[in-house]
Amino acid sequence: MEEEGLKKSFDFFGLPLETSLEEVERAFRKLRTLYSEESLATYSLLEDSDREEKLDLLHYAYDRILQFHQHTAIGGIPPKRGLEPYHNETRIFCIDADYQKKPGLFLQQLRKAWALSLQDVAAHTKVSVYILQSIEEQRLDVLPVHVYLRGFLREFAKMVNVPDTDALIECFLALYKNDEET
Amino acid sequence: MIISAPEEKNTAHPNIWAVAGGKGGVGKSVLTTAIAMTMASQGHRCIMIDADLGGANLHTFLGMSPPKKTISDLFTDPGKNLQDILLTTPFVNLSLISGARAMLNIANLKYLQKEKLIRQVFSLEADYIFIDLGAGSSFNVLDFFIAAHYGLVVITPTPTSIENAYHFLRAAYFRKLRQVIRELKVEALVDSAFGEKEQNRIRSPRELMNELRFRDREASELIEHAMMTFSPGLIVNQVQRKEDNNLGQEIALACKDFLGINITVAGDVRFDDEVLISLKSRQPVLTMFPKSPFIQDVRQIVKKFGMLAEI
Repeated sequence: MEEEGLKKSFDFFGLPLETSLEEVERAFRKLRTLYSEESLATYSLLEDSDREEKLDLLHYAYDRILQFHQHTAIGGIPPKRGLEPYHNETRIFCIDADYQKKPGLFLQQLRKAWALSLQDVAAHTKVSVYILQSIEEQRLDVLPVHVYLRGFLREFAKMVNVPDTDALIECFLALYKNDEET
Repeated sequence: MIISAPEEKNTAHPNIWAVAGGKGGVGKSVLTTAIAMTMASQGHRCIMIDADLGGANLHTFLGMSPPKKTISDLFTDPGKNLQDILLTTPFVNLSLISGARAMLNIANLKYLQKEKLIRQVFSLEADYIFIDLGAGSSFNVLDFFIAAHYGLVVITPTPTSIENAYHFLRAAYFRKLRQVIRELKVEALVDSAFGEKEQNRIRSPRELMNELRFRDREASELIEHAMMTFSPGLIVNQVQRKEDNNLGQEIALACKDFLGINITVAGDVRFDDEVLISLKSRQPVLTMFPKSPFIQDVRQIVKKFGMLAEI
């Protein structure tokens, strides 16, 4: 069953099972552009519902492959299920990333300090692994629009218990806005 | 009613190419002229047919004055055939059949007239025939398009052109499908698939094929096999911006994915001011600017489909 789902995910990209993550990512970006609302190539071809369905399937397939690659990297241990929120636990971490300049890296270091994988965060927040990873890497060009991004950042920050969630979100969004303007 | 290409298409008969696009002003005629002239200059005997019935002007692209003999003559004098109205052009190996000029009703050919015309096209003496079709998705345009051995669809990187091209492709696909269905005598099956349209909402060829496969696997395979010959080439014309370089490939992917139609990308043609300059001088681009980016790109396309035609 698992295997079949994985194969389907690779099929979705028209790629064989052993394709490298880099190549899958390239295919993913290409398709995401193709099925985006701004796409010239699919203008008038798709209705909004087709588009959304396609993009959902695309993210699902990509997440599935990401998970697969990360499993194999740590020796095939499946991600933890049914995580409890960490909020009632107090711990002190030393995070060296500057949350004003590198809020993404700050989130990543905090996540790792809690020993959470991206899948753990994704399972809990319902934000896709791809988005979470893009937030951590501050790949501003691939992130969704402002309103969605704010929500995703809040979920992520809450999950890893950022001391001042609002400040971090504002810093991240300021970077995002700068990037848009340039 | 649809007329199909004769079976023995790769023997001594001409290779027939139809150029369409859905939208007007995308460069169908200028490209048809440049492609035909390039092929002619390579020693192939070529005929251009101006099938823009009602708005024929292909002679202008060749620097010729309005011809006396046109397709209109075929309808006023039933004794005449296509061979009689063949015009010599100033270029070696290239002849022209001019379209009807401003005759009301001629854009709406009757079935028998159309059948006769298409049959005559197939019996012309030439290596290659290029049919320049008018804009739109009328039955005339569709029937010439699917009767040809190879169809080319010309678009520009604009939403309006792409919208019309998708409309044209869908329409041409379903027109061809009707023909196949009639030949295979499976009308009832297809009608039943369409009959429950409200529940199923069949919007694309792909959805229809899925439905047919579900109803009658054997028949659907026959249909699918016959429809494989519907594989138009795509030319993206007037490409100016770098981000439009992938447009052809993207459209081909989306067509396969959503419509279930296989498209080959014939090539991109760069936007080129020299095309307009030569048009205003009423000279073909090939003779006026033989080294222009436009002609370079056309040569690439000719090279590509020159190989295709040999298959």
